[in-house]
Amino acid sequence: MDFFVRGMRRVSQLCGIVAAALIGLGVLVVCEMVFVRYALNQNTIWQTDFVTWSLVAATFVGSPYVLLTRGHVNVDVLPHYLGPRGRWWLALASIVMSLAFCLVLAALTARFWLEAWDSRWVSDTMWRARLWIPYSSMPIGLAILCLQYFADLYCLVSGREPPFGIEP
Amino acid sequence: MSPATQGAIVLTATLIVLLCGAPVAFGLGALAIVFLLIFQGFGSLQVVAETFYAGLNDFTLVSIPMFVMMGAAIGSSPAGRDLYEALDRWLYRLPGGLVISNLGACALFAALTGSSPACCAAIGKMGIPEMRRRGYPDEIATGSICAGGTLGILIPPSITFILYGIATETSIGRLFLAGVVPGLMLTGLFMLWTLFDIWRRGFRAHAPEFRYSWKEKFQSVPKVAPFLAIIVGVMYVLYGGVATPSEAAGVGAALCVVLAVLIYRMWQPRDWWQILRDTTRESVMILTIIGAAVLFGYMLTSLYLTQTLAQAIADMHVNRWVLMALINLFLLVCGFFIPPAAIILMTSPILLPIIRAAGFDPVWFGVVMTINMEIGLIHPPVGLNIYIVKAIAPDVPLMKVIWGTIPYVLCMFLAIVILCVLPTIATWLPDHLMGAVRTK
Repeated sequence: MDFFVRGMRRVSQLCGIVAAALIGLGVLVVCEMVFVRYALNQNTIWQTDFVTWSLVAATFVGSPYVLLTRGHVNVDVLPHYLGPRGRWWLALASIVMSLAFCLVLAALTARFWLEAWDSRWVSDTMWRARLWIPYSSMPIGLAILCLQYFADLYCLVSGREPPFGIEP
Repeated sequence: MSPATQGAIVLTATLIVLLCGAPVAFGLGALAIVFLLIFQGFGSLQVVAETFYAGLNDFTLVSIPMFVMMGAAIGSSPAGRDLYEALDRWLYRLPGGLVISNLGACALFAALTGSSPACCAAIGKMGIPEMRRRGYPDEIATGSICAGGTLGILIPPSITFILYGIATETSIGRLFLAGVVPGLMLTGLFMLWTLFDIWRRGFRAHAPEFRYSWKEKFQSVPKVAPFLAIIVGVMYVLYGGVATPSEAAGVGAALCVVLAVLIYRMWQPRDWWQILRDTTRESVMILTIIGAAVLFGYMLTSLYLTQTLAQAIADMHVNRWVLMALINLFLLVCGFFIPPAAIILMTSPILLPIIRAAGFDPVWFGVVMTINMEIGLIHPPVGLNIYIVKAIAPDVPLMKVIWGTIPYVLCMFLAIVILCVLPTIATWLPDHLMGAVRTK
C-alpha cells in the first residue's frame, strides 16, 4: 500500500504540473487572440474554444493535486473544536462522502464522453472540433481524483495522516 | 412532499454536510445528486455530467484564473514592498502616514489582484513589521492590514464580482465599475478612522526632523509606475470597449508576469512554478466550486425550491429594508463560516429573485454583498485575513489582532448603511459610463 500512496502522490503532482501548463497555455493563447483580433484585425476561429476547454481540463486534471495539497476549501470549524476521536470519524465521513460523489461523477462523465465519441459530436462553433477530446478531461481527472481519495482514506485509516491534517 | 418541506430538508442536509468538513465543492455536488435521486429518480442523473461541464464551459470564467495569475505574479514578487515604500516616502509627513501608506498600497494592490488574502499577505509582509518597528500599536498595525486586505475583492478586478456576475447573469463590467466608488469610499473611511485613532493616541511615527529628500521620493517611482500603468491599461481596455474582461485579464496576467520577471529578475524555474502553482491551486478550487454550485443550483431549480422560497418571502409583504437587513444578517452569519466564493455561488441565484421582487438593483446588491463578504474575511472564526496577519506577526496575540479589526468592521457596516441610504454611490459610475439599466 505504501507504493500505492507514494505513486498516487507522484501522479497527483504530475496532474498539478499538467493543470498549471494548461493555465499558462491559456494565458498565451488569450494574448495571441487579442493580438490577432485587435492588432491584425482578423477573425479568430479556434482560440475561444481552446482557452475555455484548457481551463475546464485544468480544473478536472488539477483537482487531485489540489486535494493532495489540501487546497479544496472546507468549513473546518467543527473539526477544530472536536476531540481527536470525533475528528477522526468526521474525517472518515467527509472522505467517504466526497469519494462516493467523485465515483458517481466519474462514471457519469465517462458515459457522457462515450456518447460524444460514439455519436461523433463536434462543437457548434466555426472550429467544429471533436468534443470527445475536451470531454475526456472529465473522466480522466475524476478517476485520478478518486484514486487520490482512496490513498487519503488509507492514510487516515492506517493512522499515517491525522484527520483534516490537524495534529492532535 | 411540498416544496417547503423539501426546502427544509435540503437546507438542514446542506448545513450538516458543510459542517462535516467535506470540501465545499464535493459536498454541494453530493447533495445535488442525492436529492435529484430521491425526489426525481435515476432518470435525473442523465444530465448531471452535462450540467457540471456546462457550468464550467463559459469563456467569461476564463477571467478568473487570469486575474488570479495577475495577483500571484505580483504577490510572488516584492512589488507590494515597493508600492508601500513609494507611498510611505510621499505620505510620511501625515500623522499616521505609514498606516495611510499601507491602506493606500492595499487599495492599489487591490486594483491589481482580485483576491483579499493575496492583498493582505503582499502588503502585510512588509507593512506590519515596519509599522511595529516605528512604534505603532499592534492593534493598528495588524487591524489596518486585515481591513486593507479586504479591499481586494471590492476594488476591481474582483473575483467576487466575477462570480456574482456569472451566478446572477449580471454584467461583470458594470459590477467592476460599481465597486470603484464604494471601494474608494471604504478606503477613505478606513483612513479617516486611522487618522482619528492616531490623533486620539497622540502618536507621531517619525521624529519631527525626519525628512525624505525629493530625490528619494522620485527614486521610488520607476519600480511602481509600470504596475500603475497596468492598472490603468486594464481599466482602459475593459471600459473603453477594447476587449472583453477575459481578454483584458489574460493580457494583464501576461504583462504582470513579464514585469515581475524583468523588474525583479524572477527568471528561475522555481519562481515561475510558484506563480503557476498558486494560480492553479486557487483557480481549480474556485472553478470546482462553480461546477458543483451550478449542479446544486440546477437541483434547487428543478425541485422548484428557489422559486418557492422567493414566492414565500414575497407573500410575507415585509418592508423591503427589513428584508435587506435580514438578508445581510443571513450573509453575515454565512460569512462567519463559509468562504466568500462558496457563499456567492450558493446564495446569489436564490437571493436574486427576492432582490428583484423587492425592487433593488442587482448591481447595487452585488456591491453590498461583497462588503458583507469582506466583513467575514476579518471576523472570527473563519476570518482568513486574521490568520494571514497572525502568521506574519506570530508574537501578536490573536485577540489583539481581532480587537484591532473591530473598528474597521464598524467602518464596513457604516459603508453598507451609506450605500443603502445613497445607492447612487455604487450605481452612478456604471450608469454614467455604460448607460442606465431599467430594473424592475
